[in-house]
Amino acid sequence: MEGITHFFQHTGFAGAAPGNLLMIFVGLLFIWLAIRFEYEPLLLLPIGFGILLGNIPLPWQPGLQIGVQEEGSVMNLLYMGVLKGVFPPLIFLGIGAMTDFSPLISNPKLILLGAAAQLGIFLTYIGAITLGFGNLDSAAIGIIGGADGPSAIFLSSRLAPHLIGAITIAAYIYMALIPVIQPPVMRLLTTEKERKIRMKPPRSVSRKEKVLFPVIGVLLTGFIAPASLPLLGMLFLGNLLRESMVTARLADTARNALIDVVSIILGVTIGASAQATTFLTRNSLQIFILGAGAFVISTAGGVLFAKMMNLVLPEESKVNPLIGAAGVSAVPNSAQVAHREGLRADPTNHLIMHAMAPNVAGVIGSALAAGIMLGYLL
Amino acid sequence: MTNSTPILPVDFSAITKEQMIFAVFGYVTVIGSLFLLFILFSLIPAMRRRKQKKLVRTQGLPESAAAVVPGEVSAAIALALSLYLEELHDQETAILTIKKAAKNYSPWNSKIYNVINFNQIKR
Repeated sequence: MEGITHFFQHTGFAGAAPGNLLMIFVGLLFIWLAIRFEYEPLLLLPIGFGILLGNIPLPWQPGLQIGVQEEGSVMNLLYMGVLKGVFPPLIFLGIGAMTDFSPLISNPKLILLGAAAQLGIFLTYIGAITLGFGNLDSAAIGIIGGADGPSAIFLSSRLAPHLIGAITIAAYIYMALIPVIQPPVMRLLTTEKERKIRMKPPRSVSRKEKVLFPVIGVLLTGFIAPASLPLLGMLFLGNLLRESMVTARLADTARNALIDVVSIILGVTIGASAQATTFLTRNSLQIFILGAGAFVISTAGGVLFAKMMNLVLPEESKVNPLIGAAGVSAVPNSAQVAHREGLRADPTNHLIMHAMAPNVAGVIGSALAAGIMLGYLL
Repeated sequence: MTNSTPILPVDFSAITKEQMIFAVFGYVTVIGSLFLLFILFSLIPAMRRRKQKKLVRTQGLPESAAAVVPGEVSAAIALALSLYLEELHDQETAILTIKKAAKNYSPWNSKIYNVINFNQIKR
């Protein structure tokens, strides 16, 4: 009888607290959003499942080595890839091998939209300071405005490891909600006439230009912000593997098998680290509010910059300001949102190719911002 | 009366001059870096065009040979090449190829190897 009592004391039911149940509900919500609405399913699903794993109460017994926070456990070993910043560069390698930079090379002025949309990062940094967060914590929170999960993980693992769960989950949940967050801001800041602007079709890009882009890109950004090299170095390497056309096997592995394996481990461990005791705090709530603000500011930054560009551009080169919103680096969600909004205004105006340019520039911009913050603050 | 702390206790005096400078500097650096990339990649097509024009002049080709090919044209050519190479076409060639469809004899299920051989009445 004593054995049975001992067993029941060690079940998850015995140790369950309301916080655990609430987090399990959040995990189920993520899984539902991923399956029902296909919102970032490749990440929300593993994160949601990870939240379930991390919030089933474990018996506290030294040496059992089960929980993600317990040194030596399998989950903890995998989580080291997050804490030590191993996974984000690998994901960037895969993104580089997936990305076609030709829309950006064919119309280089759209690079500036990807830079302008990083406004949310720096304003949210200031916003976090006003809420009482420390300097490093504020910088890590600010990066949510880049709408770039790997950059958020990379920077928070360096500057604020205690906030990594809240920051990463805020970044990914808002990336998933881009189709909900961005359209009202885009409509508010543009007129019907602006939304109907047709852009010149992009010119064809030579192979030489495509090969030169990652080489010039890594040299330029690397010399300006060397701290961004773990991310941008891998991004441009992945892209060179793709565009050189002599390393097809490596590019194929980077954009398929490697990124898939890393995404699974990253998602599950990030989710498992979001435990009720560390996650359900006032700080997390503030981070979520700041994150939402960051996304709105970044969207507005991109759209307003596009409108400013139109003031100086000749009539035939005008930019549809909707694509400014794609400057946040959620690839390809924000480009798809810009395309859909363009179609709403004019069903024959297809903006997707144009929107991809600021979108991929946003990836470079947010990683660069992370590198600048790291170089300046550490 | 309870004394509860607001969720967003905004305090603007917490911002130092150094932090403000960093925020502005950081944003300007991101824009400046990508502006350099923009300048470089705006120069490359111009250089390419100049090189093409020089080639046209030296080899006596028509002016149209130096024109930049629009993306739509390249896409159409790429699609045509891809269709040609993969032999996907709207019109069939109308050449019939008759292949032998008969199966080779295999005795694995032959009646003569059945376990029970019923006597069949021959008429």
